[in-house]
Amino acid sequence: VDALRLKDSFARIAMHGDEVPLFFYSDLFIKHPEVREMFPISMKAQRDHLVVALGQIISQVDRADELAAFLEGLGRDHRKFGAVAEHYDNVGDSLLETVAHFSGDAWTPELAADWLDAYSVIAGIMIRAATKDEATRPASWRGTILSCERKAFDISVLRVRPEPRLDFLPGQSVAIESPARPRLWRYYSVANAPREDGTLEFHVRLIDGGAVSMALTYLQTAGDTIRLGPPVGVLTLDTTSGRDILMVAGSTGLAPLKAMTEQLAAGPERPKVHLFFCARTAEALYDLTAMNKLAAEHDWLTVVPVTTADPRFDGERGSVPDVVMRAGSWTGHDAYLAGPTEMVRETSARLISAGTPRGQIHVEDFGWSEP
Amino acid sequence: MTIAWQDEQKRLTPDDVQSVTFPLSRLGRRGFDEDHVRVFLQEVERELVTLLNEKVSLFNEVERLRRRIIAGMKSGGNGDGVLFGREDAHVHAVRILSNAQLTADRYVADAQAYSHRLTEEARSRRDEILSEAQQHADMVLEEAQSRAREAALATLNAPPVAPQMEADRSALRAELAYLRTFGEVYRTHLRAYTEGMLRSITEWERSEAGAIEQASAEAGGTFRPGEL
Repeated sequence: VDALRLKDSFARIAMHGDEVPLFFYSDLFIKHPEVREMFPISMKAQRDHLVVALGQIISQVDRADELAAFLEGLGRDHRKFGAVAEHYDNVGDSLLETVAHFSGDAWTPELAADWLDAYSVIAGIMIRAATKDEATRPASWRGTILSCERKAFDISVLRVRPEPRLDFLPGQSVAIESPARPRLWRYYSVANAPREDGTLEFHVRLIDGGAVSMALTYLQTAGDTIRLGPPVGVLTLDTTSGRDILMVAGSTGLAPLKAMTEQLAAGPERPKVHLFFCARTAEALYDLTAMNKLAAEHDWLTVVPVTTADPRFDGERGSVPDVVMRAGSWTGHDAYLAGPTEMVRETSARLISAGTPRGQIHVEDFGWSEP
Repeated sequence: MTIAWQDEQKRLTPDDVQSVTFPLSRLGRRGFDEDHVRVFLQEVERELVTLLNEKVSLFNEVERLRRRIIAGMKSGGNGDGVLFGREDAHVHAVRILSNAQLTADRYVADAQAYSHRLTEEARSRRDEILSEAQQHADMVLEEAQSRAREAALATLNAPPVAPQMEADRSALRAELAYLRTFGEVYRTHLRAYTEGMLRSITEWERSEAGAIEQASAEAGGTFRPGEL
């Protein structure tokens, strides 16, 4: 494969913007109508995903090792969408058709061979990773909703029993698909440590205009089934460091941190844990009762409720990083941050500039994994 | 998600128009009305999408014609009167499906934007009502307290009948007067406020029903809020 020629070819067809993925999917669906069922009604986000992933692959096409890890993840990820080996051939055909269409006069047999070879390698890695994954776990899990309890104006707690049992590490997330919003997957952190009965809790915040959060909050009731993807995420407890722990949770960012706290409560290591639970108003501190109960049972756990915009709140008030930095020195702590992107970024930056080593700060990063 | 792609091209996209925010003008300086700007941006976005779609169609059409001419040349003709080929049909089908998909995308995006606006409005209205109620409660409490204090003082200052026992009794009476007045004032205010609140909820419901009717009329009568 001539990497330079391939990159050049991609750059040229990329000039056509959204038309390229639009043509690709239309071509694919006309030739294989059954594949359409695997996608949501609106394809806008899907087209963007395709373009970003393709751009990533092409840019690394001459660095096989880095690319392999990415493609293996992508291959495993596609299992929950129902992708099987045969689909990869269909996609390859349509991809070549699309590139040919947009290349115009520049389309030569040599270039066609480049694209075909590159795609064969890519598909091969993805299929192999998916096949290997198949041996260890299902493509997706069936989840029965046991209860949906409204905890605050816009936050509900969903209790789900997955079948078969779903093993995960406290702090990890799973993608959820609601039958009311087919083919739309969203990540939610499991809010508990693994339980004997295998049930999972999710903290769902109603997003304005959010298709999936609305379905999970309002359209689903106990007894309904949803689909769950495999556990993902790197925000998990480092149980070997021996350091005390700082946790900062913003709104439903509490979920992964609560799961880790439960893990510590059940395990042998008992570092001191200082957990800041932050929300705009006192009312939005939806799970404070349960957290206070945990803190009362365990002397190694301190829970500090914080509000950022509630002048009546009788407790810590102000911006999250300010409150956290005011409360002490965290240079010797492992820090776990979860919540709104802005809050996580700012708190992390302040911790680093105050001397907490970067390696001790843990935040969620789904990498290239698509929900 | 489209950022990387568009960055390379440095071109304005409908997403850019939809997500653009402007800083507020400094206090005391004049600025544009936010709603007007937003409405205009929506129009710009719509127009941009239409233009881009037209561009897709035109590109495909040019491509189709170009192939037809080449095919015509190859078969020895001068490019005229080439029959509608198999490849043509496929490109046509792709174009039709692409347009249908863009229409579907648009509908979903519109429905989502509508539901976003509704929930956002409901949320801010709720915050308003809550803070208004809180302020009102504070005011009522304060007033009731001061009125009750006055009533108690008045009872205490009433001329004494018998010195020792009467002192205790008048203190009790003063407290009773305080509590009674406090309760009375509080109840009256609460009743007035609750009635006012009910009225504003009725008004709100009426205006929302109006908005939904209007929206469904705009959507050609096929739109029901339950479908969001």
